[in-house]
Amino acid sequence: MTRAGKAKLMTGLGRFYTVLVYIFLFLPISVIVVNSMNATTSKPYLSWKGFTLSWYAKLWSNTELLSSFGNTMIIAIVSTLVSTAIGTLAAVGLYRYRFRGKDLINGLLYIPVVIPEIVFGISLLSMFAKMSIPRGMFTLILAHISFSVPFVVFNVRACLTNYDISVEEASMDLGANRVKTFFNVTFPMLMPGITGGALLAFTLSIDDVIISYFVNGQTKTYPLKVMESIKSGVSPDVNALSTLILLGTILFVILTQTNVLKKLVRKK
Amino acid sequence: MKNKIIALALTFTTGALILAGCGSSASGASAGTSSSSGSKDAGTLNVFVWTEYVPQSVFDEFTKKTGIKVNVSTYSSNEDMLAKVKSETEGTYDIVQPSDYMVELMIGQDMLQKLDQTKLTNLSNIGESYLNPSYDPGNAYSVPYQGGVGAIAVNTAKVDLDIDSYDDLFDSALKNSLVVLDDYRAVIGMTARSMGYSMNETDTGKLSEISDKLMTLKDNVKLYDSDSPKSALIAGDCTAGFVWSAEIALAMEENPDIKVVYPSEGAYLFMDNWCVTKGAKNYDNAMTFINYMLDPDTAQMVSAEFPYLQPNQTAVEAMGSDYSDNEAKNPPAEAIAAGEYVQNLDPDVLSIYDDMWTKLKQ
Amino acid sequence: MKKSKHEWKSNGLPALVTVGPVAVILVFLVVLPLMYVAVMSFCSIDSYYNVVYKFTLRNYAQLADPDYIHIYLQSILIALLTTVICVLVAYPFAYLIARTKSRNKNLLYMLVIIPFWTNSLIRIYGWRTFLGTNGWLNNALIKLHMISEPLDMLFNRGTTVLGMVYCLIPFMVLPLYSSFEKLDVNLLEASADLGATKLKTLKEIIIPLTADGIFSGCIMIFIPCLGYFFVSDILGGGNADVIGNLIERQFQSGNNWPLGSALSIILIIITLLLVKAYQKIGGSMESLAL
Repeated sequence: MTRAGKAKLMTGLGRFYTVLVYIFLFLPISVIVVNSMNATTSKPYLSWKGFTLSWYAKLWSNTELLSSFGNTMIIAIVSTLVSTAIGTLAAVGLYRYRFRGKDLINGLLYIPVVIPEIVFGISLLSMFAKMSIPRGMFTLILAHISFSVPFVVFNVRACLTNYDISVEEASMDLGANRVKTFFNVTFPMLMPGITGGALLAFTLSIDDVIISYFVNGQTKTYPLKVMESIKSGVSPDVNALSTLILLGTILFVILTQTNVLKKLVRKK
Repeated sequence: MKNKIIALALTFTTGALILAGCGSSASGASAGTSSSSGSKDAGTLNVFVWTEYVPQSVFDEFTKKTGIKVNVSTYSSNEDMLAKVKSETEGTYDIVQPSDYMVELMIGQDMLQKLDQTKLTNLSNIGESYLNPSYDPGNAYSVPYQGGVGAIAVNTAKVDLDIDSYDDLFDSALKNSLVVLDDYRAVIGMTARSMGYSMNETDTGKLSEISDKLMTLKDNVKLYDSDSPKSALIAGDCTAGFVWSAEIALAMEENPDIKVVYPSEGAYLFMDNWCVTKGAKNYDNAMTFINYMLDPDTAQMVSAEFPYLQPNQTAVEAMGSDYSDNEAKNPPAEAIAAGEYVQNLDPDVLSIYDDMWTKLKQ
Repeated sequence: MKKSKHEWKSNGLPALVTVGPVAVILVFLVVLPLMYVAVMSFCSIDSYYNVVYKFTLRNYAQLADPDYIHIYLQSILIALLTTVICVLVAYPFAYLIARTKSRNKNLLYMLVIIPFWTNSLIRIYGWRTFLGTNGWLNNALIKLHMISEPLDMLFNRGTTVLGMVYCLIPFMVLPLYSSFEKLDVNLLEASADLGATKLKTLKEIIIPLTADGIFSGCIMIFIPCLGYFFVSDILGGGNADVIGNLIERQFQSGNNWPLGSALSIILIIITLLLVKAYQKIGGSMESLAL
């Protein structure tokens, strides 16, 4: 085989392999989407009984499912906001200031990152139970904050290593106080790290299963509601909701990736 | 690149919030209609029940009639329920659904409240034989809901072996084909019955024999499932199983090849009950609910969806032969007579059971 | 005089304000709970499943039983298989999409992330629908006359590993993708100019340079794998329990929190050993969080 031919074969094989992996990644997704249109009405909703879109309508009357999704969103947003704020402050503080216990805190930050979620979950449950703190939205938010903060700290810290502190000093020389400097100088320069950390915190929160499983009390989050559905057989309206979420995600990827939005704006 | 992801996340979030808003306003709307049919805000009720045991329509009907909003959580076994009730603050759940032995344990642990029998006007619908059980004399803390048998399901089209006893489940012909309950008292008890021993065996010598036999079951079990074992039977993933009797009845409706078999050694029996926890925040609503569950119309609604052994005599008479002739829904008297209930055991003995179970599931 | 890159200030108040909140969270939501778990691991329960606070080693004695050791080994095996498969599958894939000259490179990257914006539980359940006796794959294969009897693919260790791989592979793809992006093309060209075959370039240049991507990916896959009880519940059917299942069982139906705590301590010890090994190979702790 010629050199060029060999190169072409490798490229072809490479493409084929990539496609295979993508198929692997999207297989369950296609199952979810197809099953959301399954006309079956009896548990365990596994056999195909025809095509229908009625589940997308029935979805809106499944108040438990929708409110569980609402809970997940609230928990995710609140915990992301709080952990981003706390984490950013902490990253800056740990970078700038010298104080006793600094190394200890640096070390402790790794624990939620490395520790298996189940250990984290049961330890929180044990403590909440011992202190008679009723489990529910409050404990869920606390738990989500505690596993998100370290990720925010590390992401912001990655930005800080290239940080030139003289800019801050220039700002203060020009009359701004520490707080003003923080918001107008430090904060914008750390933006990539902050947004990276916030995004990670949000993603971890909306899909959290294990830790939420132990500290949720009676509150249902979306992943836990799905877990409940799996026990009795996933009805197609759960699939429908998942498909809608997926479509929403894809829509925005398309908008941001293919400049469609920009073209629309330009036309105006 | 990162900014695009953020824009994505933000717009996604906004969309999700709108969705959540729709969800809560929808529930707000339905609560609005129900409280307009009731008189004022009738409050809530926190209910903790077995999975696949109480139809959602029953809860919805209750809310429509009384305006009380019901929060439902589910569990897969008595031990799961006990764990959650103990670990949560007292009164988190108003109503629980323990089985026979668990009622006794919870009474002993002072975890239940006495039922106000004056409020249970529908109690007379329950058949005489189901009242005043040994685990709760005089029904001071519990009223029966439904009961049943841990029976054998066989897909006669796929299984050649003639199964009529628990012992047959250990046959090597059933390799990798069984679905069994994910319940250590049930499965270990079943093994004990297959050897002629008691479900509540305490003798260490016999327990050792039971353990050895239990390990031989390992190869035959494909799936452990207490929640919805009918799914595996209907889907064909498992061709036989040791499961709840109503699950078999439901599987039989979907696939007529599936048959119910009551083991010759005498089966695992259970009776589940409504109880109110100590410190329950909505005691009055709980009593209203229990009385509603004792209503024969409610009982029929339940049997329509989850057909277990129905103690509500009035309902049984109304359902006629559809219920009484169905062997899976209405276990034959001989099966009940030969069967055995689970009893509470000493923690030292239970830890032997626990070890057996861990060994089985590795 | 040139100012140093960063100046240290040891002011108490700013330190307290900035680091205080995170310190509170770490102490009350991480350290104290873990310490409580450690204490509970040396306790036992009474006949009513209440914790008895009297020092005892019975939990650890129980967990040293060969049956338990068998489960630890099974968990480690499953985790190891998952990690190895993830590396083998993700490495070429990450290389191909990171170094593609296609215009749609960003899209390809997003296509990797999009599936993981869908709930992981329902995706795992999707595998159950796909691989069941009456599932899509079996029905398709039978329709195509490739098999006459359905294949038995569900509820065993293999499917559990598949589920774990599926859940955890992004933790390998994404770090490797970054590593490959940072790879200097000039190095590869230089290597080729100096006469190295593609294979040698791979072995001597590419792999060492992407090593920290591989190692951090391995840690972020292996450790969670030991605790992912829901994957073995949904796809393993109870036949492929990992340590996470054991712990979950003791905190739920087992009603034996002290035993569960002891199991958690054992899991923590395994985790620490792995992290130490990772650090010894030269892995950076920071890259685990990014």
